[in-house]
Amino acid sequence: MNQDQKKETVITSLFAQWTKSATDFWGNMLQMQFGMSDASEASRKNPFHQTQKAYESGAKILGALISTLSQPENLESALKGMDSLPEFIIQMAQQSWESYLELQKKMAESAAKIGQHTEAYKFEGIDQNVFKAWRDIYEKEFRQYLNVPQLGLNRFHQERIARLIDTLNIFQASLNEFIYMFYIPIEKSGAVMQEKIEQLAEKGEIHDNFKEYYNMWIKTLEGHYMTLLKSPEYAEVMNNTINALVQYREAKQEVLYDILKEFPIPTNKDMDELYNDLYILKKKVSELCRKLDESRQ
Amino acid sequence: MSQSNVAVNLILKKLAETTEKAKTRAKKASEVLLSPLDTELSTTPYEVVYKEDRVRLKYYRPTEVKQKYPLLVVYALINRETMLDLQPGRSVVQNFLDSGLEVYMIDWGYPTRKDKYVTIDDHVNGYMDNIVDFIRKKHQLPQINLMGICMGGAFCVMYSALHSEKIKNLITTVTPTNFDTDKGLLHVWMKYTDAFLMGESYGNMPGDLMNLGFLLLNPARLILDKYVGFYENMDDKDFVENFIRMEKWIFDSPDVPAATFHQFVTDCYRKNLLIQSKLELNGRRVDLKNITMPLLNFYGQYDHLVPPEACELLTKAVGSKDTEDICLKTGHIGIYVSSKCQREFGPKIVKWLKEREGDAKVSGSRSDKASDISQTGDRKIAGESLRYVSPKKLVGKKSKPASPELKKAN
Repeated sequence: MNQDQKKETVITSLFAQWTKSATDFWGNMLQMQFGMSDASEASRKNPFHQTQKAYESGAKILGALISTLSQPENLESALKGMDSLPEFIIQMAQQSWESYLELQKKMAESAAKIGQHTEAYKFEGIDQNVFKAWRDIYEKEFRQYLNVPQLGLNRFHQERIARLIDTLNIFQASLNEFIYMFYIPIEKSGAVMQEKIEQLAEKGEIHDNFKEYYNMWIKTLEGHYMTLLKSPEYAEVMNNTINALVQYREAKQEVLYDILKEFPIPTNKDMDELYNDLYILKKKVSELCRKLDESRQ
Repeated sequence: MSQSNVAVNLILKKLAETTEKAKTRAKKASEVLLSPLDTELSTTPYEVVYKEDRVRLKYYRPTEVKQKYPLLVVYALINRETMLDLQPGRSVVQNFLDSGLEVYMIDWGYPTRKDKYVTIDDHVNGYMDNIVDFIRKKHQLPQINLMGICMGGAFCVMYSALHSEKIKNLITTVTPTNFDTDKGLLHVWMKYTDAFLMGESYGNMPGDLMNLGFLLLNPARLILDKYVGFYENMDDKDFVENFIRMEKWIFDSPDVPAATFHQFVTDCYRKNLLIQSKLELNGRRVDLKNITMPLLNFYGQYDHLVPPEACELLTKAVGSKDTEDICLKTGHIGIYVSSKCQREFGPKIVKWLKEREGDAKVSGSRSDKASDISQTGDRKIAGESLRYVSPKKLVGKKSKPASPELKKAN
């Protein structure tokens, strides 16, 4: 018998001992709790006795399960199953950590680019890698956990909550990218202003009026914004944000309807149905009035 | 080195002066901002003569009525009609009244969630048609003059094509009819984004969200520079009052009914159906060739919301031979509020309408209540049938602009 086999035998024996004492302990506890009640026919029908029976039955099932588990061959397979749990956790953590490192790498790359070189009035190939990386990682690594099929009575509610979390994450990512787009012209204008001031300084034409610099800066900024806002890149980011917002709002409303259903107040969904009926009715009435007027004439 | 020292000295000197000025300005500004300010909009007296759901009809009566045909002004669903009566001295409405023109103006009100299903057809063939009938009956006239602004102008174009017998003259101002252009950012965004989805998501398209969109059209000027300008002039009471009035108007933005917004974006901005006479309202095709009444088309050369390219095709697309394009050297709002345009815009419209009244005389038998008028519609007024009037074609070819200051577009 090698060392590993010895260790296993010890664990199995310990586990068998523990399961036996646990079964005995819970059996005795039940006996103590319910043992004092009388066993007459009348008492057998009362609810207390029914509960006692239910507990006894439960204890027997538990005992049987524990006894089965304590058999060496079953225990071994159970322990193997438990072995896979840490593996699963490690795998998850590893994936998350890799994703985090990937994101950090992209962020570091972007940070290194800041101030390196910014070409005025050009917005092709804007560095949106960080946002794209985050979205990719989220969609590949995290989103799948929210899409795990839900089971049981509450499955639809759970699904709606999972969708809310998912759409919120996507919306936040899109909004961050959208806001970042508005920062780019400020960065570019700053760089252009630096160049302009350097040129003025070289020529010895530095203005003593701050308003002159402000006017120069605001004109440059306006130009940059105009170029950005007309670009297909901006339209794409704007469209992504709009779609993400719409989906997030839809998911949020679905969850809210679930909650509000429990309260005695009409939801927007209820009211919309009512408004639609009213709208159709009004149209029908005015059409009928018009026909009536025509027939009178 | 010495040159650099001189510049730094000058800068420091200027900085000290600026700080001193700012201190004085702040003191004066606090006096101005804490004193009572006149920032009321829409001060010209009017009477509400018609109501339907959220929609109201305002009636502005001149001291002396000099024109037979009243003018119905249809504003856009975005922002409010108070812009035409922003302040004394800058009021298009007051200009019209001074010329003896009776003015009716539609106030679309503030749509609520109840209105989310209301379509363009409901606005044009519902509210507008009811209002036009009301005015025709009140004045015992078969036709009235119609003027539209921006989206309201597009509604007027649709209405005039579908009910041409009820409109004597049509005036469109900063009215988008050709949406197939990438000149205006709004056109680009509407075409390439799913903005129309937001209307349904929020119930109606929120006015605040639209305003945010308008601010983003030029963030440097509209979010930043504008308020720097305010800061620099906040010790000037007149400036502050005018600025606050404009702020009140800009941010008084009703929501747009979701169905209308969706239809306007998809049928107009995306499919460009209106100018091609392919737009349908409740199954009826809006054929621009049915617009046979005289048409006066104003737009702004520097309009960033509705660029000239979006406006100038209309006169060629309609059936009328009496058309005129006028391109003013201003922006979207400048047409109505800038001092220079105030001198050109209103008087030109009054003159243009007067020229097309012919020898019509002001009717003295106007009824003040629509219900006083016969519902049968067979009453004859000044030789014209209440139910049918053949539109007069005054001029056989395109007329010339009246003022040399007004640039003719084509």
